[in-house]
Amino acid sequence: MRECLFEDQIDDYLLNRLEGDKKGRFEEHYFNCSSCFTKLKERDELVSAIKAKGAWLFAREPQPEPKGWAAALGRMTNWLTPRQWAAAAVSAAVILFAVFGALPLLRNQSPQFTLSDNEVVRGRSLSLISPLIDVKAVPAYFEWAKLDNASEYKISIYNGELLWTATTVDTRIAIPEDVKLKIVAGQRYAWQVRAFSANGTLVAVSSRVRFQVVPGN
Amino acid sequence: MNGHVQDVDLNDMVAKYRPVVSFKVRKSLGSQTPDWEDVVNEIITQVIEKVRKGEFRGESSIGTFIYTVTSRRIVDFIRQKTRVLKGGPEPSPWPDPSEDAESRERAEIVAGAVQQLKPKFKEVLNLYYYQELSREEVAARLGISPRRVSERLNYAQKLLRKMVKK
Repeated sequence: MRECLFEDQIDDYLLNRLEGDKKGRFEEHYFNCSSCFTKLKERDELVSAIKAKGAWLFAREPQPEPKGWAAALGRMTNWLTPRQWAAAAVSAAVILFAVFGALPLLRNQSPQFTLSDNEVVRGRSLSLISPLIDVKAVPAYFEWAKLDNASEYKISIYNGELLWTATTVDTRIAIPEDVKLKIVAGQRYAWQVRAFSANGTLVAVSSRVRFQVVPGN
Repeated sequence: MNGHVQDVDLNDMVAKYRPVVSFKVRKSLGSQTPDWEDVVNEIITQVIEKVRKGEFRGESSIGTFIYTVTSRRIVDFIRQKTRVLKGGPEPSPWPDPSEDAESRERAEIVAGAVQQLKPKFKEVLNLYYYQELSREEVAARLGISPRRVSERLNYAQKLLRKMVKK
């Protein structure tokens, strides 16, 4: 049984579906209603856990109706020629590469600063391209996606503390030899890029993406 | 949570509203923002000062008063951040790019509980919270009514609550 009419808005608030006055009224309400705030916090834990672990949680979902799948597979085997099978295999490989290649980019989204629903001040995130997670050798270049309204980028590499920072107008940068020597196999590093507009205003920040040089490669 | 100026006990007020203010600040700024705890402390300090100076006159509830102070401080913080120039000092690094250890541990526990749910409950959580489909879209995908979707979501949450509290 619902105790409060606002309870129905908890999911919409957490999934950013409440806009304008409705969002403001809901926020004011949970400052005044301890019951709704308790439920909001609990639901936020669930949504955060699902968002953070969803790729792992739902990747191993058993496919419904295995019999239907098996039957469909059997029918496809009869329909397709070896050449069509080869084309299908290549397409599947491209899709898998696209999906799993994009996954690391979707993790750890940047903070989103919002003044109001219509006025996103620093809402854009900047996608880092490489290196991501494990690399076989100390990366020669660090590369990220171009932003239309950015005229300069500042890269920072961290190993717990700031290791190196530099500014460039390009979307990739080579790291100096002395910095390369400081990046050792087996140790975790993180890097982040901030984008600035022509007048020097910060317009976007990437998430801090971790990487390490895998020992023995 | 209603209260008037003569009723306000500052210690009780801080104990009661700090978690609410923290939640709102983290939602607005993102928990990756290293300054979020400083913003919370500033808001609490501001509220205490305003109450002491008699600026809270009981025209609204104390919750609404604190919500107003919180919202204004968040807007100010964002405006300050947009004035950060490229020559500004390097922000101090924070230990983890995502969440603090406590939140990560909590997420592990909740995710572990979700993993143990029956497929029909996991499926509805996946479609509704992870893929962010509407109730109607989830209903169409699963071939059930939107009301049934709500029931499954509520029941899944009830089960998770029990599992996490064990």
